[in-house]
Amino acid sequence: MSHPLTRRDFLKGTTALLFGASLASSQETAAPNKSRVVLIRSREVLDENSAVNPGVLQSMLDEAVARLLDESDGVKAFQKLVKPGETVGIKTNVWSYLPTPPELEAAIKTRLLDAGVSPDKIGLDDHTVRTNPLFVNATSLINVRPCRTHYLAGMSGCLKNYIMFAESQEAYHPDSCADLGALFKLPQVQGKTRLNILCVLTPQFHGRGPHHFSRRFVWNYKGLIVGQDPVAVDATGLRLIMAKRRQVLGPAQELPPVPKHIQLADTRHGIGRSDIGSIELVKLGWDEEILI
Amino acid sequence: MQVRRRGRSILSAVFGFITVLTALPAGGAVSDFSNKVPRKIGSFMSEGEDRVYDRKTLYDYVDGGAEVYLAFDFREVWTRKYTAPGGRELALDIFDMGTPAEAFGIFSCDRQDPGAGIGQESEYGFGLLRFWQGRYFVTVTASAEDEETGKTVLDLGREVVKHLGPPGDLPGLVNLLPAPSLRAGRTSYFHESVNLNNRFFVSAENIFHLGRSTDCVFAEYETDAGGPAYLLLIRYPDAEKSAASRRSFVEAYMPEAGPEGLARTENHKWVGAFLEGPFLAIIFDAPEPDWARRLIARLQLPKK
Repeated sequence: MSHPLTRRDFLKGTTALLFGASLASSQETAAPNKSRVVLIRSREVLDENSAVNPGVLQSMLDEAVARLLDESDGVKAFQKLVKPGETVGIKTNVWSYLPTPPELEAAIKTRLLDAGVSPDKIGLDDHTVRTNPLFVNATSLINVRPCRTHYLAGMSGCLKNYIMFAESQEAYHPDSCADLGALFKLPQVQGKTRLNILCVLTPQFHGRGPHHFSRRFVWNYKGLIVGQDPVAVDATGLRLIMAKRRQVLGPAQELPPVPKHIQLADTRHGIGRSDIGSIELVKLGWDEEILI
Repeated sequence: MQVRRRGRSILSAVFGFITVLTALPAGGAVSDFSNKVPRKIGSFMSEGEDRVYDRKTLYDYVDGGAEVYLAFDFREVWTRKYTAPGGRELALDIFDMGTPAEAFGIFSCDRQDPGAGIGQESEYGFGLLRFWQGRYFVTVTASAEDEETGKTVLDLGREVVKHLGPPGDLPGLVNLLPAPSLRAGRTSYFHESVNLNNRFFVSAENIFHLGRSTDCVFAEYETDAGGPAYLLLIRYPDAEKSAASRRSFVEAYMPEAGPEGLARTENHKWVGAFLEGPFLAIIFDAPEPDWARRLIARLQLPKK
């Protein structure tokens, strides 16, 4: 048996194993390009009642995507991602307790329009993406959802967001949702994802109750994690969740249950990089209590 | 001959009917709660239709956590929404877990808040009430956490418990635990590795070979060394499976252990794996080897 990740790895401080191939192997292979991930935060994006300021959020998205693609502004960056005449599906998340904020969906849609995509060729959907014509015919996808813990998968991020493209969601549940990375190889999806946005405005670091949600485990982090590599984006989100759990719940509960799918999306399915040594994390904006 | 055959078929039918009756859990179908649970509670009124979900449809209701229940002998859940002025909402969920042991199990895997004195065991905090009674596990979830809503959550729980029938027994495995130094309210009962890892992460792989045919208790014990020690007791269908699982655990978790199955871990505490017939007992974070040996000696395992 190959060595599975165990509690003793945490006792030894070798948690880097979580993020994929070991640090050593990534250095040996000397990946020519790291996966760039942008973490952007703004103190002003949420008010005292956690209401979203749409203008600030639009600016955050623009700045993050521009930095991600080395462009001078958000419009030019989105023009690099999609072309006029394309059909674009925005795969959102409507989980009632912590959905993708509509202001974020609107900000993405604004920039797709600015990039020349026709309004009638922009889809926004979650549960019916398999049959929605705009997703069936989509040539590009934007993957956006909030970051939260998940009882079975450990973390729900950009990888898990594509489970609605699966014919059978249950088929992806065995072994702690180990093979979520395979979703990115489904014909409806493969090669189409232009951007992954993990919303960490109000991430959830622990779950309780029948729906695995309690407001006490949600905090105003006021950020977005953006990248073209969904594995690197989720690996970064997991680092944030783990840091918050360590801070609030203590070292013994640092790890949400077995988020192995992030590592396996890299090592088994090859759809991105989970190893922190092969992720270039760019941090922009407000850095108070940034945690990672 | 025909009369005898007809008599036999009548007997078969009666026998079959009795079998079906005895197989049904006491207390009737969960849909009966629609006629029993009050539609008005405080300033809250029920809204929309009550709904029932079973093992096949639970994913439609519990998005992201259905496996928690499916890892137990979950049968059905009856749900109702309540609303009150100001956009406040309550969600009442009554889970039929098949047996009291399973109801205790689902309750026991996620305890964090102070007791509320409702049902056999309960807890309430931050707008979430959880309790179990007989074969039922109940949650009331509030969207707001103001004082009036909190009181209504507890009042609703007290109303519901009246319709859940008599108390049930704890799982037999819980009674095998040594009582001295056992931390109250921290014992969990479950079957599968998803529940273990949510309670106490051990391994990303199912190195104990846990599944529906295994019964587990996880308990915490006070020590004099700062921090608790943990006992995981697993009952397998037979001694062969328990022995194979011990080998798997030792290989993956403590390959340096000697024949007795003890090893010192990186936090300067001890882990031990002990086998007794179909039972496998694992101790984490024991302060000393002798401490682990004493706890194992106190386990009240059946001799056969």
